[in-house]
Amino acid sequence: MKRLRALNHKAQLLEHAVQEGNGEEVQLMSSVVGCTTTFDPGWEVDAFGGLASLCQPMEADLYGCTDPCWWPAQLADGLNSARDWTDGKNSALRDWRELQTLFPGD
Amino acid sequence: MKAQMSEAFREGVRDGIRDAMQYGARIAGVLAVATGVAGVAHAANGDAAAQQLLEAKCGACHLDNGKLNRISEIRKSPEGWDMTVVRMGIWHKVELTPGERQTIVKYLADRQGLAPSESAAYRPLTERQPNMQDTAPDEELAQMCGRCHSYGRVALQRRDEGEWRKLMHTHLGQFPSAEYSAMGRDRNWWEIARDQMPVRLAALYPKDTPAWREWRSAKHRPATGNWVVAGERPGWGAYTGTMTARAAGPDRYEVSYELRFGPGNTVRGQGDAIVYTGYEWRGSAKLGNEDTRSIFALSPDGSRMSGRWFLKGADEIGARFEAVRADDAVKNELVSVTPRMLRNGATADLTLAGVALDAKVDFGPGIEVVEWLGTSPGGLKVRVRVAADAPEGVRKVVVGGRESAQTVAVFKRFDAVRVEPAFAVARLGGGTVAPMSAQFDAIAFLNGADGKPGTDDDIRLGSVPAKWSTEPFDDRARHDEDARYAGHMAPHGQFVPSFGGPNPLRRGGINNVGNLSVIATVADGDQTLNGKGQLMVVAQRWNPTPLR
Repeated sequence: MKRLRALNHKAQLLEHAVQEGNGEEVQLMSSVVGCTTTFDPGWEVDAFGGLASLCQPMEADLYGCTDPCWWPAQLADGLNSARDWTDGKNSALRDWRELQTLFPGD
Repeated sequence: MKAQMSEAFREGVRDGIRDAMQYGARIAGVLAVATGVAGVAHAANGDAAAQQLLEAKCGACHLDNGKLNRISEIRKSPEGWDMTVVRMGIWHKVELTPGERQTIVKYLADRQGLAPSESAAYRPLTERQPNMQDTAPDEELAQMCGRCHSYGRVALQRRDEGEWRKLMHTHLGQFPSAEYSAMGRDRNWWEIARDQMPVRLAALYPKDTPAWREWRSAKHRPATGNWVVAGERPGWGAYTGTMTARAAGPDRYEVSYELRFGPGNTVRGQGDAIVYTGYEWRGSAKLGNEDTRSIFALSPDGSRMSGRWFLKGADEIGARFEAVRADDAVKNELVSVTPRMLRNGATADLTLAGVALDAKVDFGPGIEVVEWLGTSPGGLKVRVRVAADAPEGVRKVVVGGRESAQTVAVFKRFDAVRVEPAFAVARLGGGTVAPMSAQFDAIAFLNGADGKPGTDDDIRLGSVPAKWSTEPFDDRARHDEDARYAGHMAPHGQFVPSFGGPNPLRRGGINNVGNLSVIATVADGDQTLNGKGQLMVVAQRWNPTPLR
């Protein structure tokens, strides 16, 4: 870390956590069933158990998540499983209400 | 391009189905061998229909040298099979009506399901209990399997090593991000997935087990009959009541309920249910004005039922359910006692729900039955007086000389209040996605023998009325005004999330997400106690599978 310098808020959070020895403490709070524990940057919560490091609003990067199959258990996977999920809904910020859930009702 | 590929694929499936139909007799024979059941000629009508469906819908791709590959090599829970069948629709455009979907799931779950002992550890996941922590045997399995979905989804399957390896290949091909997302790219992920995981998983969850062989060959008692039931619905409180199940076909039932939550709040309803694998009860009922679903498990001997029922379309709102069969042979079978917390020096009316309860009821030293308030087929009511010097703490209730698992607790005053769940998640909704609320409960505790709160000997008294509020969890949440935007607490402890979508009133147009402390304020005589939990209000989920 000596040669790296935090430039933005997320990087400062990371740096702060490492300095305080808290890099490992987020696992328990974030592993509620149904939530992903893949924290780059995280879908429900971030690596710090908070929200500040997530993409927000999520619609701004939603297709950036679904196109490369990020969070495939939470979202549509546009790479393989639901390639037509966004067809005709070209702007997530504008069209997110039209996106369909994947699993039929039970 | 997608449409062309899709059409070509469908054409292939149609050709496959034609081919499969020609092999129908061979497939039927294979099914009989693979599932260890009688051949088609001896199968019930339902079995024959299911086999025909499998032939027509699955054989096109899975027929391999006269055998249905993959399908016959796996055991799963009903939800596991349902997710497989639905996935075939999403991935390969297999078209099934809801009835056909259920027929296939029923057939497979009955013949290739899980024994009760194999599904027991992950009942809360099956029952869709909200806000549970995911648990895996170790960190590696949590990171390799439980990073995207619950680990329990894996633990509710049984396969041999080769079949687990095929599942790894499926994941690599279908979800390649598993290899290059965080905790994938920091290791030789594919080597671990291909070589190590199948060995470990086959050892943990093998296809062939004595438990399954024994369960598969045993006869199981139908659920038909009268049941005495009890449970607790966070936000509403405890209930007792009755359930009657009438046979409506093989493993199918018409069901009526009467649930008494308290004076003036009796909920009645009708519904139906289907039992998979000899014990997995899945029901649907209209209770009062609410559409509900139930996920219960019959005990191996068929004498008890346990599980959870919840609102259709909002499975985070629901209730525990415990039931005992009202059998002639049963005596002094106690299901619940309400209320379960008794204050020193007070008089209380107790409802004991159970089957064939004897008049001789013993609540331990210092609690005296002073009046009989009546009996019913579902139990009895008594008035008790709690002595001012009755020892504090929990005691088991004895009925007719038989000690039950049910308890009551004596207390002078609450020592502490905790919010349950201590950590919860709510989700924004909007569009086609229903919002997911979070239901909290305020639980009173005694400090126990050591006199210290938050230690292992604390005594859990039960749910108590509370006033609810939220506040920012940390400085960041205060800065972003999360408590103002994320939603609100309803009076009965239910957090209702705000609307979805970007909020132009928030800095950066962020969603109405929030990191909140949830505060329960409880009045207990002349003292006021607070409990605090944490709530994350997070983004939607578009993939609402029954096993998360």
